[in-house]
Order: sequence, then structure tokens, then C-alpha cells
Amino acid sequence: MRKLFLSILLMLVALTISAQNCKEVHILSINDPHAAIEQFPRLGFVADSLRALYPDLLILSAGDNRSGDPVNDMFEIPAYPMVALMNQVGFHATAVGNHEFDSNQYGLARLITLSAFSTLCANMEPDPKFNMHVKPYQVFDAGGVSVGVLGVTALGSMGTPESHPTRMTDIRFMDPLETIKKYEFLREKCDVVLLLSHLGYETDVKFSAELPWVDIIVGGHSHTQLDGGEIHNGILITQNSKNLPFATHSTLVIKDQKIVEKKAERIALKGQTAVNKTLAELVRYFSENPAFKRALAVAETPMNKEELGCMVCDAYLAETGADLSYQNAGGVRIEAHETGDMTVGDVMKMDPFQNDAVEVFCTGKELADMLISCYNNDKQRFPYVGGFTCEVTYDPADGKVKKLVLLDKAGKKLNLKKTYRVVSNSYTVAVSPTNRKDEGKSIGITTPDLIKNYLEHQGKINYQGRRCLKENK
Amino acid sequence: MKLKVNRKNVTVFEGAEVRHAVLSYLALKGMDVRLADSLTVYDRWGHEIDLGAPASQFDMIKINIPKPKDQ
Repeated sequence: MRKLFLSILLMLVALTISAQNCKEVHILSINDPHAAIEQFPRLGFVADSLRALYPDLLILSAGDNRSGDPVNDMFEIPAYPMVALMNQVGFHATAVGNHEFDSNQYGLARLITLSAFSTLCANMEPDPKFNMHVKPYQVFDAGGVSVGVLGVTALGSMGTPESHPTRMTDIRFMDPLETIKKYEFLREKCDVVLLLSHLGYETDVKFSAELPWVDIIVGGHSHTQLDGGEIHNGILITQNSKNLPFATHSTLVIKDQKIVEKKAERIALKGQTAVNKTLAELVRYFSENPAFKRALAVAETPMNKEELGCMVCDAYLAETGADLSYQNAGGVRIEAHETGDMTVGDVMKMDPFQNDAVEVFCTGKELADMLISCYNNDKQRFPYVGGFTCEVTYDPADGKVKKLVLLDKAGKKLNLKKTYRVVSNSYTVAVSPTNRKDEGKSIGITTPDLIKNYLEHQGKINYQGRRCLKENK
Repeated sequence: MKLKVNRKNVTVFEGAEVRHAVLSYLALKGMDVRLADSLTVYDRWGHEIDLGAPASQFDMIKINIPKPKDQ
């Protein structure tokens, strides 16, 4: 009897020692929320629930937290609502996505100052004048397990993240892989090494072959929807689509200082009803922001749809210095505007899509082809134009363009061989595919921002009787 | 910037999203561009990607175009 008792006691002691040697790290991660503030009450509920089970839960974002909802992006401090919501959820760190630069260096520095979480990016070095508190990595204590989190961001063809180049002046960017390799010492220093990556899924997979000392890559940028996570070259890689349809819960089991198990599951956020009420109130507060009632300019006369279209095209010209501009008719989403204040909210209703402005260098002939292509793909509505006017004749049989004449401001025919800098929005350019030489380039500002700036610069607008199209049906 | 959409070469502007490649593909095929928002897009591995993903991340994507129902 005594022997049996002693055996059981020894087994229990062994099990206790074994359990003490076995630890778990739990990570809740998101990527590319793109200002989906409406998902935060649900995300907060998921974070609270997991934290109740795992008090040392780490909460991370792989970047591109902003850019996607004017409620966030047009706040007095642009993108502050997302920072406030992430603070409330209890985020520990974020990577720097290319869209983090959308409110320029000073805007990003200000947001970082307002963040209760760390901003991690090893392959950028901002000039000290910005006072931008970006760290390459941080070691977190997750219940006695040291987790080294290293941030990294993708560089585009220009050697900088994909945003307007002027927003990255005086920030030095380094090759991501070469930079990551400099931090291999984290393997010695930490129980777990996590790469918080805004590099994109394919790059994460490619890099995994060269980074055997990394345990997990929490990824973003390519908006790749994984079913939880995938193991590539022994590294667990996670990522979800943008706008928070899911968050990822990753678990790493550590026994005798070795990771013996890695797994990840995705947790649905969209369409779920249980929410964190504090976050729901915060979202409501931000959504009812009185700033959207702010007057940008006074419309001295009522405006019909074509006059609004002409105004949009004028905004593209005035705010970008382009020679010519055009805008698909379907992209002007209000039919009319009464005399009086034109507010931030009016601009959001008129142009709600957050399209980027795109410049194309093209000849007059190439522009004419783009206008016809746009007409054919926009339900046979001719686009509005700026810096010139159009006389267009349609074939009554099928509605196709039979004749198109482009006229300059003096009423003379536009030189079809001359190259012009033309600005439009990204949707319009995409639905105007032609064989032109220049494919175009995003200029890193959204069209509602161009319109907002134009109205503020004008103060008063009067488009009464303004026509940019003469249509013969 | 060039990429393949359902094996067709599509040229998009620098800084474009997957949405713009899909729109250009539909326009080149003479299809209704309004379809774009209802399509599911996949990368070369078969992972679902969303329309807001940067086009520069992909050299090919696949979309399933629903066939018109028989009358």
C-alpha cells in the first residue's frame, strides 16, 4: 500500500515538473485592417475572451492600420481613431505598413506618440528631426517566455514603401532580408523569435528558407487569406484578408526551452454579435464626428451633376498641376448640390471610394482612346473632363462613339500628337485600358483629398452653366 | 506593371491594387466591370486574396467568372 502511494506521489511530482517545463505563448494578430473601425468592438471581445484564458496574450498588428475609411483617415488628427481603438484593445506592437506613411513623416510620428503600443520596423531609419519613435524590435515577457518581435516593411520598385515619395523624404530604408539577418542574435536572447512582417505572403514564404532561427512570421501586405497558418521551412506563417474578416490566434508550445508545437486558427470577426461595449461606444463617437459637417467652401449657385463633374476635374488639375484631367461619370455619386456650404461630408458622399489619383503621360490621341474606352465600360456615360472640352457624336443604332473632337480652352482642336500629363482616379484609369505607352502611376493621394484641398483653397465656387461635354445623340 | 489575370496579360498603373487588374481584365474582355466587386480572386497557390491587395505582390491571379444561367 505504502509503495503504491509513493509511486503515485512520484508520478504527480514528475507531472508537475513536466508541466512547469511546458509553457504556451498565445498571440492574437491582425493585418491590414485599413481603418475597419467597425470590426473593433468584435476584435475587443475576442481579445478580452482570449486574455481571460491566457493573461499573457500578445496582441500584434502586421501593419496598414489606416487608409480605407474617411471616418478614420479624415479625422482632425488623421488616423487617430485607429490608434485610440488599438490602445483600448491592448495591442502590444504594430509593424509599419506602406500606408502608415499616408499622412507623411510628421503625421506618422504624431500617431506613434499617441500609441500605447510599440511601432516596430528594423529596415527604416527616420531622421531624428521627426522624433519618430520606431524601434527595430522589442522583447516581450509572455508569462516567463521571452518573445522577440522584429518588425520589417516591404519596399517597392523605388526602394521605398509604396506611398508618395515626398512622404518618405529623410527616412532611410534598407533591404529587408539583409536587415533581418542582422538580428539573428535574438535567437540567443529569446525563447521565441517572431517576425512581424509587412512584406507579403510570397516574400514571407521565400524568406522562411533563409531564416531558420525565426519561429513564426505574422504577415501582412498581400491580403492573403490563409486558413489559420501554414508551416513553411519549419516557420509558422499567418495572414488574413484586409478589413478584418478574421483575426489569427497562434499558439506556440515550449517544452524544455524548445518549441514543440506551433499552430494557428483564424477567428471570424465579421458578422459576429458579441462585442466589447466600450469599443462600440468609441466607434460610435468617431463615426458621428462633427468634423464631417465642416464647411470647405461656399457654392454660390446650385450645381447639377455635370457641373459637379467639371468641379471634380478642376480639382484634379489645380491640386496636381496636371495639363488635363478626366473622371468617369459614374464616379460622381451625387446628382446635385444646393447653394450653400460644401462640407467634408458632401465630398465623402460625392466621391466615397477613396480612389487614388493616377497620372498618365499620353498623347491627345491616346487620351481620346482612353475616353472612349472609359465610355464603353461605364455604362455608355461619357466621362467629365478638365482643361479641355469634348464634342462627341454617338451612333444612334448602338450608342457607340462615332466621332470625338477634343478642344482646348480656346476652342481649338487639341494637338493629338502632343504629350500631356493627364490625371484621373484609379478606377477610371483601370476601366480605360488601351494600348498607350505609359501605363500610369499612382501619385499617392486620394481623389476626395484632392477635392477637399481644392474647395478649401477656393473658398467660393461658382460653376453655373459650366459644360465640359457637347453630346450629339 | 504587368500581370496575368486568368492567363491574359493585363497592364496596370504603378501602385495599382488587384481590383484595378480585375477591372482592366473585365474591360478588355468586354465584360461588365460591375462584376468586379462580386468576384473571388485567388493567388497562384489558390489562396483567396482581396481586391484591395497591392497588384505588385502578384505576377498572376485567377478569378472565377460566373457563367450566365441558361434561360
